[in-house]
Amino acid sequence: MGGYGDVRMIDDNGMRMDGRGPGDLREIFIETGVVPVADGSCRMIWGTNEAIVSIYGPMEAHPRKIQRQDSAVLAVEYNMAPFSTTDRMRPGFNRRSKEISKVTKDALESVVLLELYPRSKIQVNIEIISAEAGTRCVGLTAASVALADAGIPMTDLVVSVASGKINDIVVCDLNKEEDNYGEADLPMGILPNTGELVFLQMDGDLSQEEFKQAWDYNMNAASKVHEIMKKALTGGDGE
Amino acid sequence: MSVPLVPKLLRAHLRELANDNKRLDDRGQWDSRNLEIEHSVLPRAEGSAKVRIGDTIVYAGVKFQIMTPYEDRPNQGGLMCSAEVRPLAGRKYEPGPPSAESIELGRVVDRGIRESGCIDVDSLCIIPGEKAWQVILDLFAVSDDGNLFDAFAIAGIVALKQAIIPGERFGVGEDSKLEVNGTPLMCSYHKVGGRFVYDATFREELGGDERIHITLGDNGNVHSLQKGLKGIFTTSEFEEIMGHALDRTKEIREIINTL
Repeated sequence: MGGYGDVRMIDDNGMRMDGRGPGDLREIFIETGVVPVADGSCRMIWGTNEAIVSIYGPMEAHPRKIQRQDSAVLAVEYNMAPFSTTDRMRPGFNRRSKEISKVTKDALESVVLLELYPRSKIQVNIEIISAEAGTRCVGLTAASVALADAGIPMTDLVVSVASGKINDIVVCDLNKEEDNYGEADLPMGILPNTGELVFLQMDGDLSQEEFKQAWDYNMNAASKVHEIMKKALTGGDGE
Repeated sequence: MSVPLVPKLLRAHLRELANDNKRLDDRGQWDSRNLEIEHSVLPRAEGSAKVRIGDTIVYAGVKFQIMTPYEDRPNQGGLMCSAEVRPLAGRKYEPGPPSAESIELGRVVDRGIRESGCIDVDSLCIIPGEKAWQVILDLFAVSDDGNLFDAFAIAGIVALKQAIIPGERFGVGEDSKLEVNGTPLMCSYHKVGGRFVYDATFREELGGDERIHITLGDNGNVHSLQKGLKGIFTTSEFEEIMGHALDRTKEIREIINTL
């Protein structure tokens, strides 16, 4: 968090700089089947964020030492393309990408029925081609849509959204400026059918009341995003 | 990753098809797949393009940085071109540092654009000896169904032609258009079943031999050549593909100039 509380990002009527109210989401668009050579894929536009996810597998896991006798292994690669940010992102090893890959994998492993595919591998590739704020949420949400597009059995989709705090007011789905200058960020990965969680992070400073509000915003947003995901998967226009 | 038996069977099949002058997807020897070009598709890039050839999809994005000019060339900026083929684009690609193949890809496309002189590096100088623009062209594969080279070359030049130098953001004057004088284009040929074909698919590449890449400028001048993979070819084979490349680059250039 930048922690620059003096940048004014919300007016007296509770309207944010991009015209949204505190609980509103940015615009979301989802389409599937965008990587023709993959077994499943998804493109998700969320504000100025854009992610492309491809799924390969279940396929033979090799080398054999990574195989598990009782389940499939899930490999997740999260990466930001060099042209996805204002200043060019240098390709190569990156601690942030490694961490996001890991927590995304932990979240998806919780819903994919891996035990159906012993000794095999499912490869999930998340590429951010345009970044605004909340790319880990877009990546995880898009990955669950792509897995569904690949026909891989899961207990539920995963909707990931973040809420945070700007100018001491709790708001949903931070944009770039709000993320840079805001005071807190709470991304969650929610199973929309049960309200259970598979992913949780937080940084910043929230009182118990603010935390509760941010949690509720995320839960509400999750059911809205879920509708868009279902439409994209069942042949609706995804908007 | 690759199972050697499959290419062996595939090679035999491709050889049979070639004997009947056929291809896997019923194209003629010199036919290309459907080509789609879009520009200004990446909101964070200063210039961008998306190219689709059949089921091959790539993006190109242009970014700018300020560099210190090289000591022996104090009045020149720079051009850098890098290609990444990440696991997103196909099951054969593994995570990790760039493979020799994707380094070759980036360098061959780079040479075609650089040697054509379409980017005037002198115009990129801001303060001689101190500050100059570095143009960075990043090529990114989304879906590899063969012939990434041509897709990257087309996407690369279209993205450069759209690029705006972000002078204001870097505090060195106003935003301005990047000067691009010319449209160098690449045509790639793959030896499949004993004869060269244009615009090979992934399966043709898998069961094929050597490949040849030719980059030609507006006036038909040759700017880069590359022979890749194991294989032998004759002068007359090369003359034939050069003849096709001259015609095909003209066609693609016309499409680009009407964008």
